[in-house]
Amino acid sequence: MKPKVAIFDLTDCEGCEVQILNSKFIDRILEGVEFLHFRLGQRVNRWEEFDVAFIEGAVITSHELELVKKIREHSKFVVALGSCACFGGIAALNNFKGVNEGKRYVYGENADKVETLYIKPLPEIIKVDFMIRGCPIVPEDFERTVSDLLAGRIPREHTRPVCMDCKSKGNTCLLLEGVECAGPVTYGGCGAPCPSAGMPCDACRGPLEEPQMSAELELLKKIASMDDIVRLFRKYAPMAPLFKEIGGEDR
Amino acid sequence: MIVYDEYVTQIEGHGRIYVDIKDGKVEARLEIHEGSRLFESLLRGRRAKEVPQMSSRICGVCPVPHNLAAVQALENGVGIEASEQTKMLRRLMISSQMIVSHALHLYVLAAADYLGVNGVSELYAKFPEAVKRCVRIRRVGNRGIEIVGGRAVHPINSIPGGFAKLPSKRELENLARDFKTVLSDCLETFNLFAKLKYPEFERATEYLAIDDGKHFPAYSGRLVTNKGLNAEAKEYRNHITEVFKPYSTTKFCLIKGHGFHVGAIARVNLFKDRLNPIAKELLKNSPIKFPSDNPFHNNLAQALEIVHYAEEAIKIAEELSATLKDEEKPKQTKAGTGVGVVEAPRGTLIHEYTVDENGVVKEANLIIPTGMNTTNIEEDLYAILTANIDKPKEHLKRLAEMLFRAYDPCLSCSTH
Repeated sequence: MKPKVAIFDLTDCEGCEVQILNSKFIDRILEGVEFLHFRLGQRVNRWEEFDVAFIEGAVITSHELELVKKIREHSKFVVALGSCACFGGIAALNNFKGVNEGKRYVYGENADKVETLYIKPLPEIIKVDFMIRGCPIVPEDFERTVSDLLAGRIPREHTRPVCMDCKSKGNTCLLLEGVECAGPVTYGGCGAPCPSAGMPCDACRGPLEEPQMSAELELLKKIASMDDIVRLFRKYAPMAPLFKEIGGEDR
Repeated sequence: MIVYDEYVTQIEGHGRIYVDIKDGKVEARLEIHEGSRLFESLLRGRRAKEVPQMSSRICGVCPVPHNLAAVQALENGVGIEASEQTKMLRRLMISSQMIVSHALHLYVLAAADYLGVNGVSELYAKFPEAVKRCVRIRRVGNRGIEIVGGRAVHPINSIPGGFAKLPSKRELENLARDFKTVLSDCLETFNLFAKLKYPEFERATEYLAIDDGKHFPAYSGRLVTNKGLNAEAKEYRNHITEVFKPYSTTKFCLIKGHGFHVGAIARVNLFKDRLNPIAKELLKNSPIKFPSDNPFHNNLAQALEIVHYAEEAIKIAEELSATLKDEEKPKQTKAGTGVGVVEAPRGTLIHEYTVDENGVVKEANLIIPTGMNTTNIEEDLYAILTANIDKPKEHLKRLAEMLFRAYDPCLSCSTH
């Protein structure tokens, strides 16, 4: 019996699903599992018990709020796929700016006709069994999660800072060059594509388990304004624990 | 009354088609339920250098055009003129993105409509070679985005003035070779989609694409239609209007009060004379001719573009693999408002930003291809359902969904 899998997308860019399709092992995935629910990839979708449900995207509407509860009830194992699910994602920036102001800017006099909830990370709404982080995820994390689950293992996070990935690429440290970078406190495993291009890590995979947050902030304050430090952490994982507090509530 | 399913499957994003047929009269609505991420609002207050990366998050299927429309708009506003080399690299990114996105749409989303399968898993079980071909094409296209942009989904390297990092000559050489290898798969894709039986339906409409005076539409140009519109991109507000409809989080676009069509079919209809040689030859021998007023032929236009943009990528990668050099990156000289316009896989994409003297974004406005197509889709739905009104409900539902899907709609983008 093939494992029964569901992939759901809430409000987001669907880039993490695209990364699944970009997997080197996509042929084995298509052969190896039965998709009961995969809106993007098939016409007929069924609500039965899912061995694993992947949920991508942020909960922005009340319909999505009901949907994730229903998914939880139908699933043995729930994986939050990507930083929108794990940490609210880029749309959660509206939490800080004030969602009503944002709606007025975009929809003008029709602002009240569009529903946008205060965005919470998925683990604050339903029980999440595992997180695949990143904006976007890297296909390798998805592959490892699936192969663990197929082998009957509970997937584990391999916690290490982005700096480890960055160092192994032989890059010069951006922080030492006076560029604000979130690498030391950010969960690695991405291969550090941003610092490898000379662009700072902007914390898309959320914080390490026990990051040296105060040391990082001390360091950043020497090279950047508080506004820019807040911009760095308030981007793709803005509702992540520790990140959301940076700069205080009023920023 | 018929309300079609909760959502249409095999499209990017969430929306449904609502149809009401009473006394032989059709009412058709395109109801888009995608959540609003309010990108225009959340980009305000960000630094210009962050915005190309953040804008790409509008869409994971077509991140490159958002990345590049942003960078172009930001440059235009603050007095930066990108170098020829930078523009060529950007055209290479767009060409690669077109191939990747079209292959995804044609094989993973649209093929099921024509080959009688439920979806991508069944497609793989019954036509493994087709899925493998799709994977091979996408892999090379992704590689093209990666070596220039730093990452295939959500590029990293694009910044106002150029690129944070340039590819190496060797990488470009290898890319040209890989594209040549995959060209036969691109041709096979065209042959497959040229053989399909598309529903018979025609409705004349206005087609819009960008014109830089030289290339088949890709990176920058004037807004041009088959009905005589020919305007500078920065004047877009004078020609394209957006209206809010209470049943959709995406705003509906109009030109002179009616719908218009952007995307592969619009580009091919308007600029088929500028296609690269192999694509041009294929079109000459194709049983389906362009210009076409059958919206289902958008799928064939996409297949044709896969060939065209692969040829384009080879041309650019080969040339740059010989001439690439490090360049000074021009810097912001003033505050101002700029408009950027590129062709996304789904059509013309417009970004507009106002940047202050400190390089911080103050205002943002985005007009998205699927948003441009919305009115035209409703007009097409009305016409095709009216023409087939005697057919069984199930047939009408299928036809309506196929029509919608043929546009390759991207509702994450259109709502943003």
